[in-house]
Amino acid sequence: MINFEMAVFYLFAAILVFAAVRVITARNPVHSALFLVLSFFTAAGIWMLLRAEFLAIALVLVYVGAVMVLFLFVVMMLDINLDRLKEGFWSYLPLGATIAFLVVVEMVLVLGGRYFGLQALPAPADPGANYSNTRELGLLLYTDYVYPFELAAVVLLVAIIAAIALTMRKRKDTKYQNPSQQVAVKRGDRVRMVSMPSDKGG
Amino acid sequence: MLDNYFPILAFIFVSIAVGIGPSIGGWVCSSLLGWNRPDSQKLSPYECGFEAFEDARMKFDVRYYLVAILFILFDLEIAFLFPWAVVLNEIGFFGFVSMMIFLLILVVGFIYEWMKGALEWE
Repeated sequence: MINFEMAVFYLFAAILVFAAVRVITARNPVHSALFLVLSFFTAAGIWMLLRAEFLAIALVLVYVGAVMVLFLFVVMMLDINLDRLKEGFWSYLPLGATIAFLVVVEMVLVLGGRYFGLQALPAPADPGANYSNTRELGLLLYTDYVYPFELAAVVLLVAIIAAIALTMRKRKDTKYQNPSQQVAVKRGDRVRMVSMPSDKGG
Repeated sequence: MLDNYFPILAFIFVSIAVGIGPSIGGWVCSSLLGWNRPDSQKLSPYECGFEAFEDARMKFDVRYYLVAILFILFDLEIAFLFPWAVVLNEIGFFGFVSMMIFLLILVVGFIYEWMKGALEWE
């Protein structure tokens, strides 16, 4: 018997699979990026069904709000030739299909019923109406898992430095004013008083 | 707990219906009631438009990405602050110090990007 929660899950899962397939089959990369946004939204819905409310909202805020905007920005503005991207599809297909098959086999072996089934990980009891996922996460993250938490800061720091190192370019040809220097200038820096003998000749 | 989110689910469905309904209705009405006689002159841009001179996709400065990437990184940092703020009363001084170390590490990155001039727009 399907209850309401399962119906919502199957609806979200169907939309997620559809959107994920469209991400890789859509011809226009902008459409692909928008389908990726849709799949993020539905994945957030599924996480909400798993009672991971903070993660669901963080997914929408961080991935849809920031990462996908960057992706869209890149895809819309970048100088990509669509026809040239499509060529070579059939020659790469055997290799790509082999790798995809291997990845699927590995994922089934690892994520299958032996380690992630209901026997290994029983479903948690319904935590009640006042359960706050954000609160539980905070209680664990900053005390028990403080070391991975600080490592996350280091990873973010590495990302900041890497982004600056990869994309920082000083342009040599830009001309700009330095207002503080302009204000601080004195008469002596600009004007030189020269005393010359007056012209005696007629 | 999920019962608390039912209004949001209902809101999503209602807003999808409100958003898609009129446009599908308009499309159905116009295709049933209106005449459709396309013509090369009708479909061409005229008077208030030009043929496109060039492709809209072009090379542009990589510094836009730098600003966007730095925004995402600090956005993630903010995401870590929310659960911390919720439980600050319960995790005590230890939790406070752990977040301060987290912020200190990221402030190092912030000072680095400031000193490098990554936020300057020349």
